[in-house]
Amino acid sequence: MLSKRFGRLATGTLAGAMLMAAAACGGGSTGGETTASTSPGTETNAPAASGLKVGLAFDIGGRGDKSFNDAAYAGLEKAKAELGADIKELSPAADGSNRAELLTQLVDAGYNPIIGVGFAYGEDIKKAAEENPDVQFAVVDSASNAANVTGLLFAEEQGSYLAGVAAATKAKSGHVGFVGGVENDLIKKFEAGFVAGVKSVKADAKIDVKYLTPDGDFTGFRAPDKGKVAAEKMFQDGAEVVYHAAGDSGLGVFQAAAAAKKKAIGVDSDQRQTVTEPELQEVIMTSMLKRVDVGVFEYIKAFQGGAKGGSDIVYDLKVDGVGLSTTGGEIDDIQDKIDAAKKDIVDGKITVPAKP
Amino acid sequence: MPAGLYRALLTVAGAIIAILVAIGISSVAIVAAGANPGDALAAFFDFGARESSVSNSIARMLNRAVPLFLAGLAVAVGFRMNLFNIGVEGQYRIAAVCAAYVGSTFVAPAPIQITVIIVVAAAVGGFYALIPAVMKVTRGVNEVISTIMLNYIAINLAAFLVRGPFAGERAKGQLTTTTPVLPESAWFPNMNWLLEAVGLPAPRGGGVWGFLLVAVVVGVALWVVLERTKFGFDVKASGLNPTAAFASGIGPKRMVISAMVLSGGIAGLIGLPEILGDQHAFGTNFTPGLGYLGIAVALLGRNSPWGIAVAALLFAFLDRAQGPLQFAEVPPSVITIMQGTIVLLVVIANEITSRIALRREERRAARELGKVSA
Amino acid sequence: MNAETPAVQLEGITKRFPGVVANHDICITVQPGTVHAIVGENGAGKSTLMKILYGMQKPDEGTIKVNGREVAFRTPSDAIDAGIGMVHQHFMLADNFTVLENIVLGAEPRKAGVMLDAGRARARINQLAESHGLRVDPDRLVEDLGVGDRQRVEILKVLYRGARILILDEPTAVLVPQEVEELFENLRELTAGGLTVIFISHKLDEVLSIADAITVIRRGTTVASVDPADVTARQLAELMVGSELPTPETRESTVTDTVALRVSHLTLEADGRALLDDVSFDIRKGEILGIAGVEGNGQSELIEAIMGMRPVSGAVELAEQDISAWSTLRRREAGIGYIPEDRHRQGLLLEASLWENRVLGHQTRRPSRSGIWINRRAARSDTQRIVDTYDVRTPGVDTLALALSGGNQQKLIVGREMSGEPKFLIAAHPTRGVDVGAQAAIWDHLREARAAGLAVLLISADLDELIGLSDTLQVIYRGRLVARLDPSDVTPERLGGYMTGAITGTKET
Repeated sequence: MLSKRFGRLATGTLAGAMLMAAAACGGGSTGGETTASTSPGTETNAPAASGLKVGLAFDIGGRGDKSFNDAAYAGLEKAKAELGADIKELSPAADGSNRAELLTQLVDAGYNPIIGVGFAYGEDIKKAAEENPDVQFAVVDSASNAANVTGLLFAEEQGSYLAGVAAATKAKSGHVGFVGGVENDLIKKFEAGFVAGVKSVKADAKIDVKYLTPDGDFTGFRAPDKGKVAAEKMFQDGAEVVYHAAGDSGLGVFQAAAAAKKKAIGVDSDQRQTVTEPELQEVIMTSMLKRVDVGVFEYIKAFQGGAKGGSDIVYDLKVDGVGLSTTGGEIDDIQDKIDAAKKDIVDGKITVPAKP
Repeated sequence: MPAGLYRALLTVAGAIIAILVAIGISSVAIVAAGANPGDALAAFFDFGARESSVSNSIARMLNRAVPLFLAGLAVAVGFRMNLFNIGVEGQYRIAAVCAAYVGSTFVAPAPIQITVIIVVAAAVGGFYALIPAVMKVTRGVNEVISTIMLNYIAINLAAFLVRGPFAGERAKGQLTTTTPVLPESAWFPNMNWLLEAVGLPAPRGGGVWGFLLVAVVVGVALWVVLERTKFGFDVKASGLNPTAAFASGIGPKRMVISAMVLSGGIAGLIGLPEILGDQHAFGTNFTPGLGYLGIAVALLGRNSPWGIAVAALLFAFLDRAQGPLQFAEVPPSVITIMQGTIVLLVVIANEITSRIALRREERRAARELGKVSA
Repeated sequence: MNAETPAVQLEGITKRFPGVVANHDICITVQPGTVHAIVGENGAGKSTLMKILYGMQKPDEGTIKVNGREVAFRTPSDAIDAGIGMVHQHFMLADNFTVLENIVLGAEPRKAGVMLDAGRARARINQLAESHGLRVDPDRLVEDLGVGDRQRVEILKVLYRGARILILDEPTAVLVPQEVEELFENLRELTAGGLTVIFISHKLDEVLSIADAITVIRRGTTVASVDPADVTARQLAELMVGSELPTPETRESTVTDTVALRVSHLTLEADGRALLDDVSFDIRKGEILGIAGVEGNGQSELIEAIMGMRPVSGAVELAEQDISAWSTLRRREAGIGYIPEDRHRQGLLLEASLWENRVLGHQTRRPSRSGIWINRRAARSDTQRIVDTYDVRTPGVDTLALALSGGNQQKLIVGREMSGEPKFLIAAHPTRGVDVGAQAAIWDHLREARAAGLAVLLISADLDELIGLSDTLQVIYRGRLVARLDPSDVTPERLGGYMTGAITGTKET
């Protein structure tokens, strides 16, 4: 029996625990209403069913993150529209404890190929691939680790370099910032490229760097409050442009920028289009595009053409796997400068570091 | 009917009604999300068409239940003494990273290897829980606050250890970091025979984690300790009425420390099923949040090992439907809604049923009062 | 007087709870302007009756007439509207508010809709206090007031809400004799002013001295209505229990020469105030030492010092062995029993079964324990022994302690503390809130144990109990033992004088 004190405390604790759980599942709960704008979507002249069944498992956050996962979904939808693929996408539990299970369930339901979105799938894909040698797998952001696994990698540092060039050129004071979601090697690539890009324009530029959570704690990708606090601090200290690579937390960066009447750079998809609030759209001067949609679509197309796994495909500037968005026209005036930097990278004149 | 049996039956009846009401409330949420409650209900019971899928589903459910059960036990030990060990979250993470690392540094015959890992995990968890306990008895620091703070430290410390001093080699292009992979002698044998015994094929992946056995032993042992021993009586007395316990010679400081250390020791085991049964290392993908879920499981299970076992299985049953629900086009957040409403309603039902039981006993006692004494 | 309309008339009131009839065919007629006492054992149905009269419960049968008009209360506010007010046994006052604020709380006169009209409230309170002789300073904080003053505030609170009929539930339980006298003065003034008082008590001497009429309730029904002039306390008590009564009178002494417990120079200070000031005494085997004192004069601290629950300077010896450094557990194991002053706070696990309560305090001793285990079977059967021997009225030993009435809980505690052959027993208010039947039984058990050589430290607010049971009496005042009295030639009044510090100094023997 619950004593009075116990009952009261328990109820309070329970409410807290439920809030935590609710916050944790926030990303996944928005479900199926968001459609990434890059999707060619609902064309009626889609080819008839091709027998192609493509399964896709999202990372934590799932559909509707207006960024990484949605970009992957856009590629999947394109495959549905253009290749006539039968598609199924699954989101994991908030704690990511069932990634492996989602892959198994897709295999059981007869999907092939199966794409895991996010480096967290690396190990699970490997195991699933070994158990199901007849099924082809792909993993975004992680290298191939089995004969039937294709690694879909992106040269984020190159895109981030261009973001750095844009930020440094626009920031008159030479003070910019970078907000990373989780301090792991992947996000450090963004930081490294960005810093290099900024320094190429202004060697003495001041760059504030803040990671929301340490390696292993993925809450940094879905904590807009933390993102907001970090960016607010940077803007207060004088930063003029803040670039984020923080998933959902980027929303907080945009809010801080809007409040401070400063600028921000989005990430993964064209966030000026995917963010719904007009006042937030205005602060996004550009976004570092990571064409996960291109990667996913190209992979499915290649699979249909008979390609097998066992190797990595790197999407870089050369193939426009990464780049900057121009929605809003805010960087039109410096486009030549960006194009020059891009050309140098593509030509190999500049090698962008992948580690800070 | 004996008072104890009556109370137990009433509790079960209350819980069942609460779950039915929770299903009703969740149905409203499902309809609001534009899906069909019937589909959702079917998805919960959809264990797959083929035998191999059924097998996988059962394995997944059991594997999910084991850490939840341990987490619930850990929280319940504190709850029994009105101690709110919110620190289970931090305790199990720090214990898991240390145990995984220590286990990878040597090779011994499997029973020894696994025992050492279990002991290290329990010791680290217990030690980490000792800190707030000592702070409470010496300085009166509220354990809720200190354990929450210690959680932050533990989470960050574990993340630091796994990518720093305890980091193992990582494959090229791999972004996740893990501790060095455990030697095979530390791989806990799976319990797939459990499924094979009923004619199902062995599930894929890690199978049914053998740590299930350890969890059952811990649960039974804890029940015996809490319900049958003097120590368990001291815990119960301190929880029900600390002043009376003190006046009866039960030292509150000793009790706080031993209950917290026991709670932390059990918490230390939460991460082991995953590490010994499946991942064979502590990595950045290690399942977080089990300590917080343990609070809900303990509440649902009314702090009794049997109740917690049922609660953990119920949570695991619901969690398992993550995939099937999405195949049925039902938003999987329904799971969290159901879990939340069930816990809340069961807590309410417990209050109501215990009041009903009490009123009945008061009446019976009053009737005795009316009788002429013998 | 009979010509007047009765202030309250209850006829055929019956209230059933499932399985139990709490009130059955109760008939009471209360004349206006009188003090009407309702007496009965605890559990006889007094509280249910008062709850019905105050609108907290609805009767199943019967009628209530107030000033000749039939009423049906659904809530206490209906009763208040009808001019009935209740002064509860436990005061319901906010300590950090002034008297005035407490009185007007919930019935504040407003100025311009929102502001408290303190001026009007003060005028009204002063007028009420004046006309009824209830002296209190409206601007003092309640926390600074003594018990008697607080009670006056409670009465004023009820009058302020327009009550003409006052129900007082056990009002003297918390008062010392002098304060009781003052209360009675107040009550007489109230009735002289035309108000009606319904006075619930089981202290028969007090009832006889204040009441104009008495109704006796036993087993849920009215058994007699008597004129106080025609009955003695003893007759009244026999009406209450329905049988012959024991008294707490002492018989020949059983005091031996062996010292069972010796405390010397116990001193305890907190915030610069001495809670215990050089307290020394011996208790010999077969002796009951009574400690008289107004609550809060060091009794609790003395108990805690002897039980080892609080560090103090000075020494405690049990059977000539220094136990000052021992833990509470070790002291209990060595043979100290403890009937706590507040059984709910210190003596029981209310939400646990009776047999678990039997184990409490004995968790390290037989029969409760064997090795690391609790011996459930032995504990259960020993609990059954206590239930039988001490006449604990319960459906069984698995019943929760919560379900028992106060008297039965207390009998269980007494039985438990007498188990395991204690050498020394602290009995703090052993019969507080206990009905007459249980009280007599508890006294008998104490007396038997004393005859068997038990040394007892008796702390009580019931002066008759102290005088009747003790072999020696000491008075504690502000942490000091100020007087040593012979219980055979001391009156409650003189004892009260020492307790309040009105008489000082002398040591008698």
